[in-house]
Amino acid sequence: MSNEHAHAPAHDDDEHNPHLAHHFDTMGQQTASAKLGMWLFLATEILMFSGLFLAYFILRMLYPEMVLEAHEHLSKWAGGINTVVLLTSSYTMALGVRSIQLGDVKKLRLMLVLTILCGCIFMVVKYFEYSAKFEHGMLPGKFYSAHLHGYEIDGLPHIFFGVYFLMTGLHGVHVVIGLAIMLWMFVRAGRGEFGAKNYVAIENTGLYWHLVDLVWIFLFPLLYLVK
Amino acid sequence: MAKVFLNGQPVEHPHEVHEHISPMSTYNGVIGALFVLTGLTFAVSFADLGPASLTVAMVVAFIKATLVVAYFMHLKYDDKFHLFVFLGTIIFVGIFFGFTMFDMKSRDALNDEQETFVRWKEQENAGKGLVVGVDNVPERRAKVLAEIEAHGGGHGGGEHGGGHGGGEHKAEAKAEHKAAAH
Amino acid sequence: MSTAVQSQDPHPAVEPSYLVSKRGLMSWLVTVDHKRLGLMYLASVMFFFLIAGILAIALRTELFTPDQDFMSAQTYNQVFTLHGAIMVFLFIIPSVPAALGNFFLPLMLGAKDVAFPRLNLLSFYVYSVAAVFLIVAILTSGLDTGWTFYTPYSTSTGTAVITATAGVFIAGFSSILTGLNFVVTVHKMRAPGMNWNRMPLFVWAIYSTAVIQVLATPVLAITLLLLIIERSLGIGIFDPAMGGDPVLFQHFFWFYSHPAVYIMILPGFGIISEIITVHSRKHIFGYKAIALSSVAIAVISFVVWGHHLFVSGQSELAGVLFSFLTFAVGVPTAIKVFSWVATLYGGSIQYNTACWYGMAFLWTFTVGGLTGLPLSTLAIDVHLHDTYFVVAHFHYVMVGGTVVAFIGGLHHWWPKMTGRMFNETAGKWGCLLVFIGFNVTFMTQFFLGHQGMPRRYYAYLPEYQVMHQVSTIGSYILAVGLLWTLIYLMHSLWKGEKAPSNPWGAVTLEWQTQSPPIEHNFHETPHIHGSPYDFPEIDKSAGALHH
Repeated sequence: MSNEHAHAPAHDDDEHNPHLAHHFDTMGQQTASAKLGMWLFLATEILMFSGLFLAYFILRMLYPEMVLEAHEHLSKWAGGINTVVLLTSSYTMALGVRSIQLGDVKKLRLMLVLTILCGCIFMVVKYFEYSAKFEHGMLPGKFYSAHLHGYEIDGLPHIFFGVYFLMTGLHGVHVVIGLAIMLWMFVRAGRGEFGAKNYVAIENTGLYWHLVDLVWIFLFPLLYLVK
Repeated sequence: MAKVFLNGQPVEHPHEVHEHISPMSTYNGVIGALFVLTGLTFAVSFADLGPASLTVAMVVAFIKATLVVAYFMHLKYDDKFHLFVFLGTIIFVGIFFGFTMFDMKSRDALNDEQETFVRWKEQENAGKGLVVGVDNVPERRAKVLAEIEAHGGGHGGGEHGGGHGGGEHKAEAKAEHKAAAH
Repeated sequence: MSTAVQSQDPHPAVEPSYLVSKRGLMSWLVTVDHKRLGLMYLASVMFFFLIAGILAIALRTELFTPDQDFMSAQTYNQVFTLHGAIMVFLFIIPSVPAALGNFFLPLMLGAKDVAFPRLNLLSFYVYSVAAVFLIVAILTSGLDTGWTFYTPYSTSTGTAVITATAGVFIAGFSSILTGLNFVVTVHKMRAPGMNWNRMPLFVWAIYSTAVIQVLATPVLAITLLLLIIERSLGIGIFDPAMGGDPVLFQHFFWFYSHPAVYIMILPGFGIISEIITVHSRKHIFGYKAIALSSVAIAVISFVVWGHHLFVSGQSELAGVLFSFLTFAVGVPTAIKVFSWVATLYGGSIQYNTACWYGMAFLWTFTVGGLTGLPLSTLAIDVHLHDTYFVVAHFHYVMVGGTVVAFIGGLHHWWPKMTGRMFNETAGKWGCLLVFIGFNVTFMTQFFLGHQGMPRRYYAYLPEYQVMHQVSTIGSYILAVGLLWTLIYLMHSLWKGEKAPSNPWGAVTLEWQTQSPPIEHNFHETPHIHGSPYDFPEIDKSAGALHH
C-alpha cells in the first residue's frame, strides 16, 4: 500500500522528495493515508476471518461432543510450538519496525530475516501436522476416511476437520503471503529505499504480520486446547 | 501561501514525523508476557475445567491480543482514528456473531417447545431417510440408520413446520436427533 | 427550458483536458487517473446493464402469456438468475460509486486524485476478471440458483455455481478496494478548508457507502468461499445432507447482502441531494440531517438482515427483533425525503432533464420505500414473501431509486465529464418514457403479488394474464426510453454544444474547473471558505436568473 514511485534515498524537502507521489502534498499526508488504508484493510481481514470463527462456534453449539472428541486428535504440542514461533516472529517484526524508526537499515534486514525464518518454521510444522492428518484420513467433508484407518470418532467429525482445514488453511495462506511481502521488503531495504523518515511500507508489513499472529492467538486455543 | 494541509487543516510542521518509538524494554516485556500467557493457557488445557475452559481460553486470548495490538501494532500511541476503526470492526463482528447466535439458540429452544426440529425432519421428508455421514462412510450410515430404525424412525412424508404434536413424537424426535448427532 | 447559466470561467481552456492529455490505447489501459478510470467503469457497467436488461426483456416476453412460450423452465431459471446476478454484482454495486464516484469524489474534495491511484486501477482489473468469470459461467452451463445462491440447492444443482460464485467473490474484492480507497480519500485528501461540514452531500453518501463496502464485503467473500468449499468438498457447514444448517448460509449471505442493498441505494441518495439543490437554486434543507442520516443508514443496515429470513426457519423471536429493527431504517430515509421536498419548496426550480430525474426519483423511491414497510411487518410478510410484491418493491428501490438517480446524475454531470451538452428536449422525452415505462411495469406487479402471483415462475394461472401483459408492455416502454437516452447521449459526444465549465451554476468544486477537467483536476489547489450549497449570486438576485 505504499505509494513510493522512485527509488532514491529520502530527502528532507517535500517539494522534491522522490518518495512523494504526485497527488499528495506532503509526506505526512502520504504516510497517514497509507496507514489508514492498512488499518481498513486489516478491518476487512478481521471480518473475513470472523465468518470462519462463527462457523466454528456454531459447530460447537450443534455438535459439542463430536467437537470435543475430534479435537483430541490435533497435536497440542505442534500447535503450541507454532504459537511460540509465531509470537517470536511478531516480536522480531516489531523490533524491525523499531530499527528502521531509528534509521538502522542493517538491523531491519536482520530482523526481517529472523521473521521470515520463524514464518518458515511455522509452515514446516504445519506441513508435518497436515501430512499426519492426511495419513490418518482426517480430511474435510466427503474425503473424510479416518474410520478406515482405525480412528472411530462419533458424530460428524468430517465437519470439524473441514473447519479445521479451512481455518488453518486460510491462515496458512496469509502466512505465505506475509513471507513473500517480507522478502520483497528485505530486497527493497537492501536497495536503500527506507529510512528513519520513510518506513511506512515496513510498518504496514508489520501490521499485516501482527494480524496473522492475532488470528493464530485465537485459532490455537479454540482448535487445539479448549474442552 | 502555506501549501501544507492535512485533513483540510493547515499543518504547522509538515516535515516532522510524530512517531512514537517504544523502548526495547516494552517489547521485551510484551513478548515475555505473551509467552507466559501461552504457557498458562497450554497448562490449563490439561486440567478438566468443563465448560469454563472456553471462557478461560478466550479471556487469555483477548489479553494476548490486546498486548499485540497495543504495543506491537502501536495502537496505544497511534492516531486515535485507527483505534476507532479497529474497535468499530470488533463491534461489527459482534453484531454478526450476536444476531446469528441469537437466532440459532432461540431456534433450538422454540424447536424443542414446538416439537419441530427442522434440520432432521427436512431430510426425512426428502424421502431418502436420514442421510448423515458421508458417501464414503457406509458403515456409519448403516449404523445411524439402524439406530433410527430401533427408535421407530423413518416416518417420512409427513408435513413439517408445526402440528406435529404428541409427547411420544417429541421423545422420538429427540432420540433421532441424538442418534444423528452421535 | 432552462438556459445554461454561464459563469465566468476563471481559467480559459488552454491546458488539454484529461481526455486528450495522453493519447493511445495504452494510455487508457494503464491509466491511474481517477477520471479515466471512472469513464472505463462507466462503459463497463453500461455494457452489463445492457446485457442484463436484455435478459429482463426476455423474461417479460416469456411472461406475456400464461403458458410456456419460448423458454423452458430451466432456461427461465437461468435467465432470471443471470439477470439478477449481473445486475447486482456487475452493474448496480459498481455503478454509482465506481463510475461517478471515482470521477467526482476527488474533484468534489479538491484533490488531485484518490489516495491510492494504482489500487484504483487494480480494482478495475479485478472487476474485469470477475466479469470474465461470470461470462464463462453463462457460456458454460449457466446458473440457476437465483442471485442469492441459497444452499442446499446451490450445492446440488448441476450448473456452474463454482465459476459464478468465484466471479462474485472476485467482484467483492474490487468493491472492497474501491471502498477502502474512498474512505482514505475522504479522510486524507480534502482540500484546505474542506472540513466535514463543507463536504458535498454526494461525498457523504459515497463515504457511507464505502464504509459499508469495507465492513460487509469481506463477509460475502468468506460466505462464497465456504459455499465453494461446501460444494467441492462437502464439509457440512451449510449442506443439511452433510449435517450443516442451510439457514446459517442465509445469515452469512444477508449479513453482506442486506447492507449491500444500501451500497446500491446510498450513492443514489447522494446524487439526488446534489441534483435537487443545484437545480432548485436553493441551499439544501437540513444539510447535517441528510449527511448524518447517510451514516445512520449505513450503521442500521447491519442489524436488519434477518428480515430476509422471516419464512426460512429462523426463530420467531429473531424474526420479531429483526422486524422491529427494520422499521428503524425508515427514519433516516424519511428524513432525507422530507429534506429534499423542503429544499424544492420555494426554490427557483430549473426544470431541466437532471431535475426531472430528481423528481421522478422522489416519486418512485418513496413508493419503493413505503412498500418496504408492509414487507418488514412480520405477519404481513408471511403472505407477501416470494410474491411479485417483493419483486416490485425491490425494483422500485433499485431501478426507480438507484438507476433513476444514476441516469439523473449522468445528465447532471455529463457536461463536466464529456465537455458536451446534450439535447434537453430529447432528454425530457427520454425521462418521460423511462418514468412511464417503469411505473407501468412495476406498479402492476404490486397488485400481481398482492393477489398471490409467486415470483420466479415461468408459467402462471390465466387470471393473472392481463396484469402480466400490462407489465410486459411497460417494460418495452422502459427499454425504449433507456435506448433513446443512450442514443442522444452518444449523439451529443459528436454533435453536442461545447459545455461551459459551470452550466448549472453550481457551487461544488467539480464545477470550478474546466469542462472536461485537466489531468490534475485543478490549476491550483482550491481553498474552501463555505458551504457547497451557498448560491450567492442567485440568492441575491433570485428571479433575475430565472426567467
